[in-house]
Amino acid sequence: MSAASHRILELSPEYRSEAVARYLWQLDDQTRRLVEETRDATPEALAWQMAPGANTMGMLLAHVAIAEAHMAAVLIARRPDSDVVGVLGITADDDGLPLPPDGRPPAILAGKDIAFFHDLLKRAREHTRRIAIPLTEADLDRRVVRRPPDGTTRHSNVDWAFYHLVEHLAGHRAQILLIQHLHAAHAGA
Amino acid sequence: MKVTDREILEIPTGYRAAEAALTLAELDEQTASLMHDLEGITPAELEWQMRPGMNTIGMLLAHMAVVELFWIRTAVARKSVFDISDVLGIGMDDDGMPLPADQPPPAGLAGRPLAYYRDLIERARAYAKQAAAALTEEDLGTSFQRTRRNGKVDELNVRWVLYHMLEHFSGHYGQILLLRHLYRDARKTA
Repeated sequence: MSAASHRILELSPEYRSEAVARYLWQLDDQTRRLVEETRDATPEALAWQMAPGANTMGMLLAHVAIAEAHMAAVLIARRPDSDVVGVLGITADDDGLPLPPDGRPPAILAGKDIAFFHDLLKRAREHTRRIAIPLTEADLDRRVVRRPPDGTTRHSNVDWAFYHLVEHLAGHRAQILLIQHLHAAHAGA
Repeated sequence: MKVTDREILEIPTGYRAAEAALTLAELDEQTASLMHDLEGITPAELEWQMRPGMNTIGMLLAHMAVVELFWIRTAVARKSVFDISDVLGIGMDDDGMPLPADQPPPAGLAGRPLAYYRDLIERARAYAKQAAAALTEEDLGTSFQRTRRNGKVDELNVRWVLYHMLEHFSGHYGQILLLRHLYRDARKTA
């Protein structure tokens, strides 16, 4: 019989809240798979842009790290603002997203290797984990009100923020897989 | 006018396990957001294929419904249940995935409007909600084995299945957004 794969979601006792432990397991699973899937990506592939205005794999990898560092601080720790530079060593705008229709990838990401991007993911997760460990079940319904520059008012709770981190990472991870596929077809053409 | 976004995840009632209720609420939010992003999409865009062998948006939408129903049945039955046509009216392979290289989309999806795919997803979701409502906390930690169609055996628990239903949906949602971007680019250069 073929070897069995192991798909058991187990909750770490490291966290005070089982629900928070479950979200962190999910985030760690997404990141583990993303790191495996991009392990052999070259700097050329990471910077490959299908057309002006389109995101590169490198941009998306930087984006998920930046988004996690920002959202964990503002939406989960409920700080007035995030310190993306302090956590990651790059600014919140260095992913280049959103690119204008004819935009090119940000120069700061040019030539970066996969180790650079994997390190961003690792730093963001360590930051999230530090915030998540002391949270209790009751903390999950804590509300956050934001008034971003677009004039809207946004109400969220901590539960939603964790869910959003998971689905945001899953969505961009799948986009990276699709860009990998397109790049391979382009390189083979 | 200022718009207020309410991003509050609340646990629906009617479930025996809060975790199962939460997953279904998350799936509902994903679906509402996806359908908002797909407003106005034409059958031509739904069946647009960037090149032979690649998935279309329609294929991905059908796949999301098929997979959701497959996995909730697997979670409840603790084994693989490959028949889904009684609920969806299409079979496991009718999404066309995985599409062999150089192949066009499946003929069964040709010309289908968004309403067709929305109905597939709604049917799968209604079934998933009913099945998930019966799951207990004890069920979620239960591990079991399932045999894939290729003979490989997975060991998994119900908690993982619920997570997989969400991350699978979210992943393909992300790809659909990228395909819409590529479709617009292709139309500009055509």
